[in-house]
Amino acid sequence: MSSTGCQHLQAYKAAGGKETFRIIYSYFVACSSADARHKKAQICKCVVCGDYRPRLHACLSCIYFGCYDKKHIHQHAEENKHHLAIDVSYGIIYCFVCGDYVYDSELEELARAQCHRASASLGLKQKFFPWEPSEEELILLRCNPKRRRVTEASHIGLRGLINLGNTCFMNCILQSLAHTPILRDYFMADQHACQATDESQQCLVCEMARLYQEFYSGSRTPYIPYRLLHLVWTNARHLAGYEQQDAHEFLIAALDVLHRHCKEMNGISDSNPHHCNCIIDRIFTGGLQSDVTCKRCNNVSTTIDPIWDISLDLGPGSIHSSHLLPSATAAASTAQTPSTGNTGANNGSSGNSSSAPSSLPFASADITTHSPSTSFTNSPGNYEPTSLVECLKRFTKTEHLGNSAKIKCSKCHSYQESTKQLTMKKLPIVACFHLKRFEHSTGYHKKISTFVSFPEELDMTPFMSSARCSNGFNGQVLRSRIPTLTCDNKYSLFAVVNHYGTIESGHYTCYIRSLKEQWYRCEDHLIKRATAGEVLNSEGYLLFYHKQVLEYD
Amino acid sequence: MADLQERKLKDAQMRATINQKLVETGERERLKELLRARLIECGWRDELKAYCKEIVQQKGLEHITVDDLVTEMTPRGRSLVPDEVKKELLQRIRTFLAQQSNM
Repeated sequence: MSSTGCQHLQAYKAAGGKETFRIIYSYFVACSSADARHKKAQICKCVVCGDYRPRLHACLSCIYFGCYDKKHIHQHAEENKHHLAIDVSYGIIYCFVCGDYVYDSELEELARAQCHRASASLGLKQKFFPWEPSEEELILLRCNPKRRRVTEASHIGLRGLINLGNTCFMNCILQSLAHTPILRDYFMADQHACQATDESQQCLVCEMARLYQEFYSGSRTPYIPYRLLHLVWTNARHLAGYEQQDAHEFLIAALDVLHRHCKEMNGISDSNPHHCNCIIDRIFTGGLQSDVTCKRCNNVSTTIDPIWDISLDLGPGSIHSSHLLPSATAAASTAQTPSTGNTGANNGSSGNSSSAPSSLPFASADITTHSPSTSFTNSPGNYEPTSLVECLKRFTKTEHLGNSAKIKCSKCHSYQESTKQLTMKKLPIVACFHLKRFEHSTGYHKKISTFVSFPEELDMTPFMSSARCSNGFNGQVLRSRIPTLTCDNKYSLFAVVNHYGTIESGHYTCYIRSLKEQWYRCEDHLIKRATAGEVLNSEGYLLFYHKQVLEYD
Repeated sequence: MADLQERKLKDAQMRATINQKLVETGERERLKELLRARLIECGWRDELKAYCKEIVQQKGLEHITVDDLVTEMTPRGRSLVPDEVKKELLQRIRTFLAQQSNM
């Protein structure tokens, strides 16, 4: 919306006022330099009474400051015929002739640019400017006056899914994705511009968009996602077939296909697979930092891997618990698929350690000296986590890679024993935690059904790379060290996928949090209201958390 | 009587000095951002926004002025700020001043 202020402002601009405005703004409203801040500190106070508090205005025609409430700036305007002044707190312009605040698009542009500079100069996040419709959008809005109002009791967005034969694993993932707020917003805002010319090359992203349309159509009959299932099967052959599959594998495969199709269909060149800007990457990709410290020279070698989820070990701790997930995920693609999350396995060495894992590579003495903040009372060898936070603590704990797993240190050029620590470098908007309840070892399969509690709100700050102390220990969050003003590491639970039964015959159901903050239990075509208590008491297999505060880069 | 006046004057001077330091170091802007975030998080902004809409509806869109809104909303806004937020900011300011006196 292009605003042009009032005639007095226009006259001011015509007489070269733009530059004056810019200067005044950058010295007294949003300072981007130390010099400006210095000047502001010195002179930015009411000339008459010395007050610097609410509604201090700066004259736009000369260097004068006056407060509004006591009418000091009004007097100045009257006496000197300086009709315009700016509020130093908000940067809005007041016209004394019109007796009101006036807004000019051009000046607002200048102001916005200066605000950006000011925020940047202090290392603050960029200020939020709300959406304003463009000319086109205004016309569209006026031509389409019909609005849909979602009431408290509305069930919109909820729809059951028919089980097509052991497809409950897929249904749960679809329900979770359908209720991922930011993903839903992306599709509902029609952001996917598919460029697929070849009809036979069905785009999974388009199919996802159709899913959202179906879910929000208001139809109460269960939806049959046969085309979506077919598309996933054709693009991820290892999942084809009517046997029960692992919901987690399906999630990773689905995200991978969506990610690939986003790129292919949108013509984004995949020259840089690690900096994809597709919606899947923007939402789900986090950065897992791995720091390996050489015990001899203390040189730290750091790598950051993109991940879509965090797989957490359950059961008794074992340093050499191997597995990256079965090669199913590797089959998806090569360098472009982020790893499915690290399990704390040795970096660089093969999965299973060949030496006897029964003797722990470090004595408990080491543990007590090196982990001051642990709440484990036993040595990790006997410890079984019973909460998500404990799993994360274990995940980010410093591991001592033993004698059998020496890493070549790049600094001292020798094979040395080292310690390794995993932390989150970059948090995704949606964090998916996978509790590794299924154990597949040669000859036997087991399900760990231990109850693991998880919170409705989760703070990831202690597990961040920034919380890592210089000596590699994951200490408590020390307020003075963390420069972040706002806690943008806080997450809210919005979906839980549960598995019932044994590894041979089981069933998946899920809980999702709807548009109106109400929990529902989804079991294929059956949707039932649920309480938060129910959700938090369920076993939990896949836990989906959404960032509470979204920031602009 | 004169004592009280003197006290008031000294207080005002001290406030001004502190404010100067805050502006110069940019800490004032940082505190503003922190306050903004906290007030959003605790729902203060949403509550006041709703109140603002009410006032506009009452007075009528044609007759409302910024001054009206400021007069109406300031006392309400001030009273709705949660104690924890106040405490946190005061603590930040104290810490800042302590750092400054060490320099």
